[in-house]
Amino acid sequence: MSRIPGREELKKEISSRSLAMTVEEAEKLAGYVDRMPTPLEFHLFDTMWSEHCSYKSSKPVLRTLPTDSPGVVIGPGEDAGIVSFCHQNGREWDLVVAHESHNHPSQVLPVEGAATGVGGIVRDVYCMGARVTGSMDLLRFGDPEGVKGETTRGIVRGVVEGIWKYGNALGVPNMGGDTEFHPGYDDNCLVNVVAFGIVPHDRIVHSFVPEEAHKEPYVLILTGKPTDDTGFGGATFASEDLDGEQGMGSVQVADPFLKRVLSEANQAVLDMLFEKGVKFGFKDLGAGGIACVTSELAAHGGLGIDVDLDAVPVSIENLSPEVIACSETQERYGLAVPAFVADDVLALYNERFELPRLFPHCRAAVIGRFNSKPVYNVICRGKNVAETPVNYITEGVVYQREECPVDSGAPEPAERPCDPSKDLIRILTSISGCSRKHIWSFYDSEVQGVTRLRPGEADSCVSVPVEGSRAGLAVSGDGNPWYGELDPFLGGAHAVGEAVRNVVATGATPICATDCLNFGNPEDPKAFWQFKQAVAGIADACCALGFSGGDYPLPIVSGNVSFYNQSAGGKAIPPSPIVAVFGKIHDHRKATDIVLRKAGNLILLIGTRKDELGGSLFYRTCLGHCGGTVPAFRSSLEKRMADWVLGVIHDKRAHSVHDISGGGLAIAGAEMALSSERFGIEFSLDSNPVTLFSETPGYLVEVDPRFIEDVTLPEFVSVAGRVCDGCSVSGNGWSVDLESLRKEWSDKLASVIWREEGV
Amino acid sequence: MSRAAVIRFPGSNCEFETARALKNSGLNARIYNWNDIELLSDNRADAYVLPGGFSFQDRIRAGVVASRESIMDLIFEEAVNGKPILGICNGAQVLLESGLVPGWKPGSVQGALAGNLAPGRSGYLSGWINLKPASEAIERCPWLCAMSGEPIPVPFAHAEGRFVFRKEDTESVKSHIGLTYCEVDGSAPDGYPANPNGSALDVAALMNVDGNVLAMMPHPERSFYLWQVPPDLKGPWGDMRRNSSLKGLEDQPGPGAIIFKSLAKYLGGNNG
Repeated sequence: MSRIPGREELKKEISSRSLAMTVEEAEKLAGYVDRMPTPLEFHLFDTMWSEHCSYKSSKPVLRTLPTDSPGVVIGPGEDAGIVSFCHQNGREWDLVVAHESHNHPSQVLPVEGAATGVGGIVRDVYCMGARVTGSMDLLRFGDPEGVKGETTRGIVRGVVEGIWKYGNALGVPNMGGDTEFHPGYDDNCLVNVVAFGIVPHDRIVHSFVPEEAHKEPYVLILTGKPTDDTGFGGATFASEDLDGEQGMGSVQVADPFLKRVLSEANQAVLDMLFEKGVKFGFKDLGAGGIACVTSELAAHGGLGIDVDLDAVPVSIENLSPEVIACSETQERYGLAVPAFVADDVLALYNERFELPRLFPHCRAAVIGRFNSKPVYNVICRGKNVAETPVNYITEGVVYQREECPVDSGAPEPAERPCDPSKDLIRILTSISGCSRKHIWSFYDSEVQGVTRLRPGEADSCVSVPVEGSRAGLAVSGDGNPWYGELDPFLGGAHAVGEAVRNVVATGATPICATDCLNFGNPEDPKAFWQFKQAVAGIADACCALGFSGGDYPLPIVSGNVSFYNQSAGGKAIPPSPIVAVFGKIHDHRKATDIVLRKAGNLILLIGTRKDELGGSLFYRTCLGHCGGTVPAFRSSLEKRMADWVLGVIHDKRAHSVHDISGGGLAIAGAEMALSSERFGIEFSLDSNPVTLFSETPGYLVEVDPRFIEDVTLPEFVSVAGRVCDGCSVSGNGWSVDLESLRKEWSDKLASVIWREEGV
Repeated sequence: MSRAAVIRFPGSNCEFETARALKNSGLNARIYNWNDIELLSDNRADAYVLPGGFSFQDRIRAGVVASRESIMDLIFEEAVNGKPILGICNGAQVLLESGLVPGWKPGSVQGALAGNLAPGRSGYLSGWINLKPASEAIERCPWLCAMSGEPIPVPFAHAEGRFVFRKEDTESVKSHIGLTYCEVDGSAPDGYPANPNGSALDVAALMNVDGNVLAMMPHPERSFYLWQVPPDLKGPWGDMRRNSSLKGLEDQPGPGAIIFKSLAKYLGGNNG
């Protein structure tokens, strides 16, 4: 007998189960099932309709991002994006990239939150059939010396610990990333994680049950960690404002050891399935756990499924059906395979790789059967605990949010006193301008033996991921919170621009990008406007910075939106679009770094300096002011500069290259000198704040003096100075000995952040 | 062609690049699972490598659970047969925990790899350091026999890499030293950072009594090619790397290749 419950009844269910769904959404669900939904159905739809999973606020805006380019194999939509990378021995190898946030968990439990952040993003790459060859973290923290400094320092240390404990053990080289501090993150840190890997084109795996399942019996195998109650409600937690320490129980528990074994076991299983020539589907378990993976594998393949929760290996007895089905226990995968190979698959996991011996209650098990009746049906202890038409589960919800422009209205400083030597020292020894080496020293950047340039050696890390091929992969992730705060459109555009420059500075041609869009509450029209502006900025920059010829853009192939980055008090983070760019260099031996090579060489300046210091390190560190005029994004010039720099590198005329961004030209020069130890730069330019410290996009390129006799320089290139002996940087009327500054520059971060540990 | 077996434990994570380094040194290298005991027993290799990683999650202590795995009986047997055996990083921890190194009383543990001691920090530390072979080790150890005695820069990455011994063993351990940490010019390290973890006697790699088993904390397989050397590294290898970058010479061997070349030389000599 069916009975649709009333609003009041539904309200009670929502509050007693701590669901995030609205009463209207609950009514919609009740209408779908034509009765009071079961607890499992409530939790399943609460996850599927959460902002985190459904993109219900952002979807219409995300459609404006460019995603199409000749190299794109799989754009946004599956667990990770895929682009063509290189050919080796007649085989095409593709690059698999994924990018997401783990912000809320990292704020409440930094070690576990950051660790599961890495754990989650690598699964998205693994489940496309790839081997993961690198990861990167883009971190945003509050002011470590501000009013909440002690909390912030603890969070930074915890996040770094979580990243190294997981990534190092998993054996995925850490390819750096960036770390920024801004008081706007005092209550909400950002932990954005990127993972990437390689897969032969003919071995890409999809995350849905294949068509063949309409004709022959297919089963669902669950493998990995036994299910427990960790991470129950995680996606919902990520879709609400942060309120103190609430939500701790929603954070998952990571196990890199098990993941490492599983990764090799998965590869052996995929090898076997490809060898047998059977079609299959493969998907990792993330938000919504078993409920989501089973329903999505089925729904995207146009099938129904019967799931038997009693067959699920568990590590805790007497879990309720909704907890078994929806907990976010880590290190699990779902595999849709023909029934006749199930025993072979189970044998690989359970016998060859001995999962049951390595971890209590761990094993692969058949937990479901696909069928052609399009119903999502779940049984537990002989009872039906969910029975829903499967298409409703993945149908999703969409909201049109309101927007309201925000005028930052920030003024420029009235005066700009500048003492180049003092200001340069101030910036280099500030928390924003100092070396990030202490963070990187915890990471294993060289496991797998594919790393060509490590964090800090060049503008982006470069690896050589395909055995036998010289193709190099460069990766960089960027996003400047001060730009985002003053102008979210330019914040988005420059996030793309800087990541592109970082990749180009190593000699790599950008081939694709991913984004993670971190904002406040989308139901707040101002926050939503900021989001839309940033997306428009990213879209504009990507359209201008395509390198595939024709009018093709730089395609965004994967990404993530993280809303509700605000505290219960309503204070939102600065608009934080963060972009990762991936580039390819045909022969990694041509890759350039930032290490100066020879006294007497010339330093070329690419990109004329402009008076646009809003949000700059100089204003913030030396004048205690944010300013108002963010550097303009000059799209066609940005592209011409990149093309010219790539040409010089490919002609093997560039000895070293560094992009100009935070801190401007003087800081870029100082960083080149600091990494070469023996050499410095004498600039022959005017000593005014605009020339030295403006963050107008550009590059410094070290060339042989004969270069300018051989090559006609375009109008945006000029000689800025020359390489000299001794680690120093100087200009007209000023000079800084960097050797004496080195210790402070490299130890500053440790002495501030790790002070509680006695550094 | 001589055969090398790389033994993968649950949680190993350096098996592929280790096998690659062996292959590119002219050996037939193959990765075996911890439970491939019969297979390996029927196809004995000429040399064995225990690669780096976090076997069994470093439960109890790094390396201790793996050292109790059945496959270690076979490694024991081969060690006694005089076959070259190398443990890198976690593999070195396994060799210490199994008692194979220093191996005064095979099966009983006589040294340990303890948590790093570095000023002002704890936990994991990665970077590049310089290593120098003990002169007797060049003669006795198949993994070091091609070394010239000049220092080589190699990366390290570990949280527990500090060799510690009983006080009364300090003298006897000296004849087991394979490699020590050193300054870039080869001189003895002035503490941290040249000795990155506070290792006793500056030991970076330790041999067994016969010299055929070597437990080495740094990662030679990660500096197998010149292109893997950091562009800002001090010393002659850094100079070579910097000078080669516009000349395309970077497929040249890196400083760590000498460990695997040593083995190839040793086996080549043995096998005629």
